[in-house]
Amino acid sequence: MEIFFQQLINGLTIGSIYALVALGYTMVYGVMKLINFAHGDLVALSAYIGLVVMMQLTGASVPNYIVIPIVFIITAIVIAIIGVILERIAYRPLRSAPRLSAVVSALGAGMVIQNGIMLIWGPRPKIYPADVVPNIYWNIGGVSLGLMQLIILVLSLVLMVVLYLFVNKTKIGTAIRASAIDQLAAKLMGINVNKIIVLIFIIGSSLGSVGGLFIGMYYKGIYFNMGWIYGLNAFVAAIIGGIGNIPGAMLGGMLLGLFNAFIAGYVSSTWADAFTYILLIIILIFRPTGILGERVAEKV
Amino acid sequence: MRKIFLSLFLVLALVVSSFAGGTIKIGVQAPITGKFASEGQGIDNAVRLWVEQVNAKGGLLGKKIEVITCDDEGTAVKAAICARELVNKGVIAVIGSYTSTATEAAQATYFRAGVLQTSDGTSDTLVKHGYWTFFRNSSPNSAEGKFTADFFMNFKKYKRIATISDYSTFSVDLEKAVVDNTKKLGGNVVYRGKVKSGDQNFTPILTKIKSYNPDVIYFSGYYTDGGLIRAQMVQLGIKADFVGGDSNDNKEFIKLAGSAATGAYIINVPLPEYLPYDIAKKFLADYRAKYHEDPPSIWTLFNVDGLRAILHAIEVLKTTDTKKIADYLHNELKDFPGITGPITWDKRGERITSAYMAYEIQPNGEYKIVYPTK
Repeated sequence: MEIFFQQLINGLTIGSIYALVALGYTMVYGVMKLINFAHGDLVALSAYIGLVVMMQLTGASVPNYIVIPIVFIITAIVIAIIGVILERIAYRPLRSAPRLSAVVSALGAGMVIQNGIMLIWGPRPKIYPADVVPNIYWNIGGVSLGLMQLIILVLSLVLMVVLYLFVNKTKIGTAIRASAIDQLAAKLMGINVNKIIVLIFIIGSSLGSVGGLFIGMYYKGIYFNMGWIYGLNAFVAAIIGGIGNIPGAMLGGMLLGLFNAFIAGYVSSTWADAFTYILLIIILIFRPTGILGERVAEKV
Repeated sequence: MRKIFLSLFLVLALVVSSFAGGTIKIGVQAPITGKFASEGQGIDNAVRLWVEQVNAKGGLLGKKIEVITCDDEGTAVKAAICARELVNKGVIAVIGSYTSTATEAAQATYFRAGVLQTSDGTSDTLVKHGYWTFFRNSSPNSAEGKFTADFFMNFKKYKRIATISDYSTFSVDLEKAVVDNTKKLGGNVVYRGKVKSGDQNFTPILTKIKSYNPDVIYFSGYYTDGGLIRAQMVQLGIKADFVGGDSNDNKEFIKLAGSAATGAYIINVPLPEYLPYDIAKKFLADYRAKYHEDPPSIWTLFNVDGLRAILHAIEVLKTTDTKKIADYLHNELKDFPGITGPITWDKRGERITSAYMAYEIQPNGEYKIVYPTK
């Protein structure tokens, strides 16, 4: 039973990160019908920018519980700006082009970001300072839960609830949903779709940046090419939940994290990735729109 | 008569080809970009530094040495392309690659073209093909496996042993060598698992291993994963020791593992600073002076040693005929003073001179040699 609860915590921790990153994929897809393959690399970039900001701030005599929120805010702002620039340069000119062009452009943008990280920070892994978040662990009946894990779980949950309420209860949220259903009709109703798309990139990128910072603070080592792995997993999570669907991305991320942890724990760590794709294939066969995919269609 | 003409022609062709070019071309096949970029760049830097020094002294056989680098990204596909490219550019010897996978993918091409290759690759399969062109310049996995098993059973006396490897040829072979040798000594291996390199989240497999209650977790992969495995082990409250294979021997391991690094064991051939050789000290100082950093790892130095042995053979034999150089390296070179210690190769191109050590990482990040005990 110990093992079960430990894997539950392991799975939820990584699952929260997947979910945060998956939200970026799903929101962009929802409105633009574009898979933003550069999103994973943006997440990697945020881990690097977060580290730079952190190194600048920790030199001063400011306590860490003030430094860390500032790091999160500055990184989110920087990454949101980069996300918007990315949209302007790589996607907007291609908005009326065949969809494949935009996908290729996204892949290219991802490569530019990845190689840019390597050029600026070098190919060796960068490492987060060990003492940013106090190394506190609680041992409850043989199950270990770290302070950082708790922060990841709680903060992710809060962000997701806020996002859900924002999209479903506010006027701008309604505009986002309207743009997702039909951009042309939304325009005719007086919605500035361009502004909505910029907003989507701001929200998606900043959520991704939180994910990137979690990766850095929890796993310590960050790599210039790590965006690919996290991006791919988050992308799968978004598909599992139903791409374009916000609760779906959250659910997909959590499920994927748990699924990975339990397969690795009870079946074989060797096969954890293979099972991820088996799960993806099964879901695509039986529910091609993802677990929560259809509900969106009904709402339409 | 025709035969005589033919052989005359061949000799002439050989003479022309060896004197025609103004330079002796040496290839570097290494992962300049990609996951192992820092190691690959280290190899390239070190080879270029040594060649620069030789050229400054007037070169070799009155010719300058030219270095041609090809980036294999650590992958088999790019390695095969690099091999073709370097052969076409007329190199006589290739230094590299860093990974066993990339080295193996290029071996056959160099063998067919008669181009010498030295690599730090440690996978045992590398010397099993019987290519006369290939010289393995680090210690084989089998030797490390034997040493590691000895450390487990005779020194630490572990009762329950868990092992983890990644999917690389190198890591799989090393883990197998460790397990085989441990079993020979009567060791009890309770768990063998694999992780995907670069995964970062190793808590699922570690949680599983925890249920086997091992005394030690052995990891045969690279430091980028090893450091995280160690950190996550401690976080999960696993009391077992951590023993890392040679590729965990990297300063970044300690940074990645953080405070959890203390007490971790790493098994490798001696570090340069533990070697009594002046040449090692001088080369490290030169490297620092030129690149303002230390070589990324001991593997850099193994590769330079390969280059040095080949250049030494060319100097002694006064020829760039690769067949003759290979014969010399196989049969006559004995205890050539290398940066990483004396170098001798057996008939298969296996380096037979090397000594392993087990280090324990101290709280200040220093290494302490714990085995063999002096």
